[in-house]
Amino acid sequence: MPMLVDLLGSQIVRTVMLGAALVGAVSGMVGVFAVLRRQSLLSDTISHAALPGVCLGFLLAGERDLTTIMLVALLTAMAAALSVLAIGRLTPLKTDAQLGIVLSVYFAVGVVLLSHIQAQGGGARAGITTFLFGQAAALSAQDLWVLGGVFAVATLFFVVLWKEIKLATFDPIAAAALGLPVRALELGLTVLLALTIVAGIQLVGVVLMVAVLIAPAVAARQWIGNLGAMTILAMGIGGLVGAGGALLSATGRGLATGPIVVLLASAVVLVSILAAPRRGVVWQALSAQLQRWRISGDRVLLAMDRLAAAHHDPDYPSEKGMLDTMLGRPLPGVMRRLEGQGLVRPVVHDPESSPHWVLTPAGRRRAEALRRTGHGPD
Amino acid sequence: MLAALFDSIPAMIVLTGVLVGAAAALPGVFLVLRGNAMLTDAISHSIVFGVIMVWLLTRELSGPVQLIGAGLTGVLTVALTEALTRTGLVKTDAAIGLVFSMLFATGILLIGIFARQVHLHADTILLGEIGFVWMRTTPVLGVAVPVSMVMLGVVLVLNLVFVVLFWKELKLATFDPALAAALGLAPAALHYTLLTLTSVTAVAAFDAVGPVLFIAFVIVPPATALLMTRRLALIVPLAAALSTIACVSGYFLAVHWNVAIGGMMATMTGVLFVMVLSMRALKRQLQHRRPVPGNPAPWP
Amino acid sequence: MAGSADLHEPGFALHVEDLTVRYGSSIALWDIDLDVPPGRLVAIVGPNGSGKSTLLKSVMGLLRPVAGHIRIFGEPISRARSRVAYVHQRAEVDWDFPATVLEVVTMGLYRRIGWLRPVRKAHRQAALEALAEVGMEAFATRQIGQLSGGQQQRVFIARALIQQADLVLLDEPLAGVDAVSEDIILSLLRSLRDRGKSVVVVHHDLSTVRRRFDWMVLLNRRLIAQGEMRDVYTPANLKAAYGGQMAVFDAADADDPARSGRVGGQV
Ligand SMILES: Nc1ncnc2c1ncn2[C@@H]1O[C@H](COP(=O)(O)OP(=O)(O)OP(=O)(O)O)[C@@H](O)[C@H]1O
Ligand SMILES: [Mg+2]
Repeated sequence: MPMLVDLLGSQIVRTVMLGAALVGAVSGMVGVFAVLRRQSLLSDTISHAALPGVCLGFLLAGERDLTTIMLVALLTAMAAALSVLAIGRLTPLKTDAQLGIVLSVYFAVGVVLLSHIQAQGGGARAGITTFLFGQAAALSAQDLWVLGGVFAVATLFFVVLWKEIKLATFDPIAAAALGLPVRALELGLTVLLALTIVAGIQLVGVVLMVAVLIAPAVAARQWIGNLGAMTILAMGIGGLVGAGGALLSATGRGLATGPIVVLLASAVVLVSILAAPRRGVVWQALSAQLQRWRISGDRVLLAMDRLAAAHHDPDYPSEKGMLDTMLGRPLPGVMRRLEGQGLVRPVVHDPESSPHWVLTPAGRRRAEALRRTGHGPD
Repeated sequence: MLAALFDSIPAMIVLTGVLVGAAAALPGVFLVLRGNAMLTDAISHSIVFGVIMVWLLTRELSGPVQLIGAGLTGVLTVALTEALTRTGLVKTDAAIGLVFSMLFATGILLIGIFARQVHLHADTILLGEIGFVWMRTTPVLGVAVPVSMVMLGVVLVLNLVFVVLFWKELKLATFDPALAAALGLAPAALHYTLLTLTSVTAVAAFDAVGPVLFIAFVIVPPATALLMTRRLALIVPLAAALSTIACVSGYFLAVHWNVAIGGMMATMTGVLFVMVLSMRALKRQLQHRRPVPGNPAPWP
Repeated sequence: MAGSADLHEPGFALHVEDLTVRYGSSIALWDIDLDVPPGRLVAIVGPNGSGKSTLLKSVMGLLRPVAGHIRIFGEPISRARSRVAYVHQRAEVDWDFPATVLEVVTMGLYRRIGWLRPVRKAHRQAALEALAEVGMEAFATRQIGQLSGGQQQRVFIARALIQQADLVLLDEPLAGVDAVSEDIILSLLRSLRDRGKSVVVVHHDLSTVRRRFDWMVLLNRRLIAQGEMRDVYTPANLKAAYGGQMAVFDAADADDPARSGRVGGQV
């Protein structure tokens, strides 16, 4: 712990954390729309396709100059998105194949360029492979301005075009019918996606960038059903996960930042999917269990009601084995629940020793109501 | 004579590439046809997790345990993705992206932590080193054969046997899974087997090309072949042939320019794809021009 | 031709001339001429793949026709957008999308609200009123996926209502809809017509079309017939549109004159 506190005091660590938080926040914001537009795998393709751009930018600038690298990487990333479109237009290949082709071939070109840079030697080459897995420590104070710029552009884009983007994402046909320029909005979103990816790869790396984009959005969706609030939550998650990952990576023996950020983000997703109220897996399982209990309780009441009617005795004591046979084994705990709700009462029925129950007046009323609404035990 | 072949380093490298291409094309054709190509992306990234876990448990970096581990990792990836999708909370594409990223990130971190012992570097894991596969050999019938080639050879035979034995079932399950299920042909089991074999192939190809370039060999040559013919029986050999051309030309270009051999081979699969695509587009253009001029494309 | 400011056939709510639409090399609509007078409840009927949806999409300018032109109250779609509303075929959206029912209805106003302007309280109020018209105001805050199919359809119709268009196009609004929703939707469409609006509905069910609509367009890639229901709903026309598929007639039509056509054509 004291080590973390020391680190927080360091100027470099603060720079890196701020940069990572910016990248995480903008990824969360843009990622919401990538996820809703089902572009997760397109995002993966675009980020892999940024590698040749990174290398070309590096070759052009002759050094690790973030602005040049980002500009050229943005170009190849957009070229990749257009290639996917073109393959879709020109061939009958399915979307998956289109993405796979573009992803792997652009990345292969990147690998070739990477090896070319490394073959040239020199001190500069060391910086280039960090784009594979990300290295937050490589971030400089100047880079913060670039990342801040991307954040500002993305925020402005969404604030200004919010309702148009919402409609074009939810229902592009209706948006076009209203006369909105859906194509232009989609293009804008894709450019923004590429820009975000390109801004993020030096921290997270080309291979894992996709997770930083989609994980905050997926997590946020579990908690919130409102697009605006969801976007803000995704930004928060992305920012925290980014900053946290950068901090951990700075402490941990030169571990790459990308994997740490992704693992943090995955943990948030996992917790959200399990625990989110209403939607979450745990919540769903619990409410399904409650439902099952209620239904089997109802079935027991109806069965007891039927037995009582058959014996012309409203206080007919129903025996456990008999109920089990009629219902095919009620869930454990059902009788206790019914007792707790005051719907049945245990009775001793001499000389038998097995448990027996009778319906209480409340139980009879409920059974009658059930009979009327027609939910029989079978 | 055979020994002479295994003494020639260029021959070794090219042959390894050809084996990767042929082994990958077999499951690749069906994955591309089914629209599941991006599962390869997921599986091959996850393999990194499998490789390091198997190493942690057995200290083996190759051989049968790695193949088995790969199979399990592939199944794990697909099962996790499906479980996530089945909750209804996450769409398939996002589930794929989340699962493989998580496994890959775990793998890379473990490699980072155990880097000094495992003699693996994350960069080489990602990119492969087809230029060095000849350095680790194992004797086969008295000849020193690279370990990678042996593994790839075994996997190629496995894939071939599977595809030949279950040809018509694969064909039906790919074209019409519902009918295949109705006929009791267990399309799900076939699908899982196919993906398991893809993972096993990925780990065999691991040393040579790494996970991402492997995707190129699984998807691009079959997709290219698909543009050339619609006859399923022709697509597989055609895809293997395209891979071979890519490997040979990629090797010589890489040597010529002094760049990564694996990367150049994968790039060449893309070049072949673009060539076939352009020829096709040109042909269609010529055919279309004659009857009706004008632009019929709908625009949203 | 007329200059850009001139109206062409302004007497018709919808005027279509020489319309031909192609997808790639297959022709979806061929040389359609169509006139829909205002104040009618129009059914577009035809077998699957006959180009009904294509026709509506062309009217909305969502497809670029190979030939022909379309006018709405005499104007091209680019100038008539505020006068026409469109409800597309269902299930084309992501039902898990984080949007409430009220938000979805408000979306119909986005064009009128305009760029750079946020949604205001008055807009939400209007959306609530539209929801009340389709009997869905109690669901305003629900996420859009947590509705039945018929309720979802009503929400999309509310989104069209809020646009206060003079021409409303609906693509199969009654497909897969429960009886309650169907009644609500139909009486709503009738009240729109009674207020002088023109309502054009793609309808699949030949057995009910006669009772529910008063104008009919029969389509099968070409225009088979158009006009008052009683003039168009004839055995000869239906046979021309459906060919051998006459079994689509329903027993509910037993008292219809069309029955004789079915008997003659089928038995
Ligand atoms: N996007 C498209 N690309 C290619 N062909 C299309 C496309 N959309 C429609 N078609 C074809 O155009 C023809 C008309 O389609 P359309 O959807 O207009 O028919 P429809 O009358 O609405 O059918 P349904 O009753 O099934 O809704 C069909 O043959 C269809 O296959
Ligand atoms: Mg239709």
